[in-house]
Amino acid sequence: MSNMQNTSAPVRRHMGLRASRALGNTAIYALLIAISIIWLVPFVCIVLQSFRVESTWQVGYVVPQQWGLDNYINLFQTDFPRWYLNTFISALVTAVLQTVIVLCMSYTLSRFRFKLRKPLMRFMLILGMFPGMLTMIILYRVLKDLGMTQENSVPGLILVYIASSGMGYYVSKGFFDTIPKSLDEAARVDGATRFQVLKKIILPLSKPIVIYTILTAFMGPWGDFVFARYIAFGTSKGMNVAVGLYNWLNKDQISKFYTMFCAGGVLVAVPVTILFMCLQKYYVEGVTGGAVKG
Amino acid sequence: MASVKLTDVKKVYDNKVTAVHDFNLEIKDKEFVVFVGPSGCGKSTTLRMIAGLEDISGGTVEIDGVVVNDLQPKDRDIAMVFQNYALYPHMTVYDNIAFSLRLKKMPEDEVYEKVTNAAEILGITEYLTRKPRALSGGQRQRVAIGRAMVRNAKVFLMDEPLSNLDAKLRNQMRAEIILLRQKLDTTFIYVTHDQTEAMTLGDRIVIMRDGIIEQVGTPTEVFEKPRNIFVAEFIGAPKMNMIDTGLVNEGGRWFVTPFGAKIEVTGEKKEELARKNVQPGDIRLGVRPEHMVLTANGGEGSIPCKLEVNEMMGSELHLHVYTEDGTRLIVRVPTINLTMEQREQLVYGAQLYITFEGKVMHFFNKESELNLIYG
Amino acid sequence: MKQYTDLEYLKLSKGQKLLYRITSFFCSIPKKIGGLFVALWNLIKTAGQVIGKEAADIWSTFVNGDWKTKLSYLVMGFGNLARGQILRGLLFLLFEAVFIAYMVLAGGYWLSMLPSLGKVGPTEEYNIIFDTYVTTYNDNSFKILLYGVLTIFFIIAFIYTWRVNVKQNQMAEKILASGKKLKSGKDDLRSLVDDQFHKTLLSLPLTGILIFTVLPIVFMVLVAFTNYDGTHDGYYNNLFTWVGLDNFNTMLNWQSAGGGQSYAATFGEVLSWTLMWAFFATFTNYFLGMFVAMAINKKGIKLKKVWRTVLVLTIAIPQFISLLYVSKMFAKNGIINGFLMSMGWIQQALPFWEDPTWARVTVILINIWIGIPYLMLITTGILMNIPQDLYESARIDGANAWQQYTKITLPYMLFVTGPYLLTSFTGNMNNFNVIYLLTGGAPTNPAASSAAGTVGYTDLLITWLFKITTGAESQYYLASVVGILVFVVVALISLVVYNVLPSIKNEEDFQ
Repeated sequence: MSNMQNTSAPVRRHMGLRASRALGNTAIYALLIAISIIWLVPFVCIVLQSFRVESTWQVGYVVPQQWGLDNYINLFQTDFPRWYLNTFISALVTAVLQTVIVLCMSYTLSRFRFKLRKPLMRFMLILGMFPGMLTMIILYRVLKDLGMTQENSVPGLILVYIASSGMGYYVSKGFFDTIPKSLDEAARVDGATRFQVLKKIILPLSKPIVIYTILTAFMGPWGDFVFARYIAFGTSKGMNVAVGLYNWLNKDQISKFYTMFCAGGVLVAVPVTILFMCLQKYYVEGVTGGAVKG
Repeated sequence: MASVKLTDVKKVYDNKVTAVHDFNLEIKDKEFVVFVGPSGCGKSTTLRMIAGLEDISGGTVEIDGVVVNDLQPKDRDIAMVFQNYALYPHMTVYDNIAFSLRLKKMPEDEVYEKVTNAAEILGITEYLTRKPRALSGGQRQRVAIGRAMVRNAKVFLMDEPLSNLDAKLRNQMRAEIILLRQKLDTTFIYVTHDQTEAMTLGDRIVIMRDGIIEQVGTPTEVFEKPRNIFVAEFIGAPKMNMIDTGLVNEGGRWFVTPFGAKIEVTGEKKEELARKNVQPGDIRLGVRPEHMVLTANGGEGSIPCKLEVNEMMGSELHLHVYTEDGTRLIVRVPTINLTMEQREQLVYGAQLYITFEGKVMHFFNKESELNLIYG
Repeated sequence: MKQYTDLEYLKLSKGQKLLYRITSFFCSIPKKIGGLFVALWNLIKTAGQVIGKEAADIWSTFVNGDWKTKLSYLVMGFGNLARGQILRGLLFLLFEAVFIAYMVLAGGYWLSMLPSLGKVGPTEEYNIIFDTYVTTYNDNSFKILLYGVLTIFFIIAFIYTWRVNVKQNQMAEKILASGKKLKSGKDDLRSLVDDQFHKTLLSLPLTGILIFTVLPIVFMVLVAFTNYDGTHDGYYNNLFTWVGLDNFNTMLNWQSAGGGQSYAATFGEVLSWTLMWAFFATFTNYFLGMFVAMAINKKGIKLKKVWRTVLVLTIAIPQFISLLYVSKMFAKNGIINGFLMSMGWIQQALPFWEDPTWARVTVILINIWIGIPYLMLITTGILMNIPQDLYESARIDGANAWQQYTKITLPYMLFVTGPYLLTSFTGNMNNFNVIYLLTGGAPTNPAASSAAGTVGYTDLLITWLFKITTGAESQYYLASVVGILVFVVVALISLVVYNVLPSIKNEEDFQ
């Protein structure tokens, strides 16, 4: 290799590198902008259409010709507030109880080594392979006998949501597994009971996963459709927002309620989204930390 | 301030793997005992069984004459320092040290007294309000020790407390542990894989392999009278040279015949051979590297060999040599004994002659690997 | 087939290596199936041994025990009471009392009715006073089945508790003989927050799972062997009863009973689409999500947080809103068609939901829209965990960007996310929400729809199952059969994948 080449080569390579990187980055920016548009369009559309007052059915354009709050006001003439309340109450109670149950379960499976631990985990894995929907048939009849369906659907719903939540222990167990076990041991040598270890050592260190669990538990009932529909069984007062709004999109209703559906959707989405965005950090931590370990 | 007694202690895991076989040991009050051995030898498991962090599969552990098998760690009155310190990351140093005292519901002013006192001794007073993550490795180690100190426990357990520190800090902390031991004046059980730590710290050393105690003794005992080849090789660095050779008796005089050379056994070793009524025959001979010396060409006791690697350690040279039949040996030579000229000749392939004295030899049975004199 | 040694294998060309691995995989199948049977046999054998050992132990405890122990065989907890463990004794005694009371008052009845699932259905009688027919409701098949199962659970629990009771006596005798003291009730209570804390923690979750998952599943599995449906609801109109394997016969029979397509054919069609859907839904999301994550994480890209937040928005908004809304956007008179037509790009509305192929492609595309944000989050975390020195060393070895991706990023990702991919695949097979809210199964598949209500081209097994139960005839027994088959398919896939997954086999590879 001659000296000439030696001196010129690095310079040329350097320029090439920079140019190709700039080109690549431009392509990526274009892609990201395109993605952002695709992802945001539906939400922009739904907000815009919720303000449309000239017609209540589906139309082929987005920007309303006449703006107004009629759709929002009309919502209060329907059972929508009741649905909203139903969903909110069940979400709130579920968030608390489900978090307690999930944390009990995952902490135990992460920290205790008892004889039935492995069989128990395998058993729950197998249980999870059954379509949960099937059990709805029997749960509905049992809850009906207990008087927890239709108009009184909220307690029934809460019971269904939380009862089996112990099976969703994977994510938080994955998190607990990352807390060194020697901390537990040190605390136990220091004189703490297992309960004190949980209270004084583990829980203070588990803020992200606790918030993650509360958040996902809270968001669950807002989107639940199957169970809520079963338990409400045609009784408007017992529905949650998902079931109620779904019914507005039936063939015979949609022409009357389409824009109100949009308005209702916005009212549901806004608080949930704001809450989610505030706690986004913890959600991301939970998903990236625990979800994959499974 | 208590004795610890282990009787036939056993650990069998669920998958039928036995980590510790019938472990018998009596640790006296205020004794400093070190468990040492290669990783996986069961030393940590034994310690954790004493602590109550691991179930005991068989046998009994007694502390101060009380069987503690079924007691929870918190009820055993022990203190423990962990390898990775196990400091509570969400608490300040002060709260870390105070944790156990508060669990005992000690009044806050007494807690303050004890914590600051311990911090004083360990020199960490200025860090009391910091969180562990803002501390260096050595400081964390001190906090961990402080946390164990304030408990005034009967037994002080340490599980490889220095192995996460760099070499320099480790030496310094080792010295501090010796000082601490004098201040605390309690029973210590210390686990390590480092034979230097074991030798410098322990009143007695327990050498373990594959869940079995190979030898228990003072540092001098295990160094000078290793019970078997494993102990002989494990204690001392670089490790003891092993040579397959013959042991012959010619009219009351004992000789070994390594690589055609002939070296007489002298001193105490000679008397012991006679006293233990050892039979001549094929044996394995052990000689520590520092007991091998370079010698002039020829002579009855000299072993010819070639130099492979010359490691300059500063005050001494580690010469890796191989004999004519390919056996590799290590010779430790003090640098001061060699002239510059001699040192320059120690290059790859140089022809050397080595020998050793009769009083430094260790004799082992080739099959049982036991020491013929002390086994 | 020829077995290569490791070194011989390394000498093979790429094609030969692949061939070798494929053939050895298939050659190992008979062995694996054989292994399964051996494992099963061993399981049965050990179960037999355990039962035998327990029985022998119970017997010897009785023979060797003192009178307190002997009496405990009849009166549970007597031994505990007699030896001063009042709390435990009372609990045992209480349990026995409750059990006996339950069996006498109700359990016996449910159990005796279980084989028939009820004898007398609702009867109509003419009532002279009111001059009208009055219906009297008698046996309740549904309750008989439910409480019958519950009673069996209870009996198992009782046998277990009785065994514990016997064992406790045995242990107590041993402890007393060795001169130690027994645990008091106070000790027991204290241990519930300490060494037995796991029992305290698990009691609530496991009770919930037992009552709300295990019991219903057992019940529904049993329903598959009955004729429980809308016209045999077991109380109000007709009783239902055991029909043996009839329902499985119907479902798996290629010969159709009435006119039209057989159930088996319909099942096959729905299953193949379900698998197709699960495959595409899982892998399009996976690779595109990873791609987006890598794009956002690329060095030099600014506003990373903004891009991420935009995507995460879709997670925040409840799915039923976004899915329902997007579904309407793609409708014939929806925004998409409206937009395309107003731009003059198309003359007629595109049949997004009307044409089977269009519909299937559209749900997969919309599912990408739903799924990418999750995958972006998950993969971002893992991508950042890949040690940078791997890339540095690869670049020094001369790998270009594409080679770095295929040789480092992808193997690492597949290794770490292997189990996740499996759960996500089975999750997609049962992804009710996306399909039901987007299409509701439409467009209808006329050929397949005759037998069990309407079946559409985008129907998954799970939405089909839902339709069967909510349809006019409410053929619960059929839904139950479908449910069991879904379980079998999911379990089979999981079993196979688990056996070939590298992350399970060589856990340490990348650690």
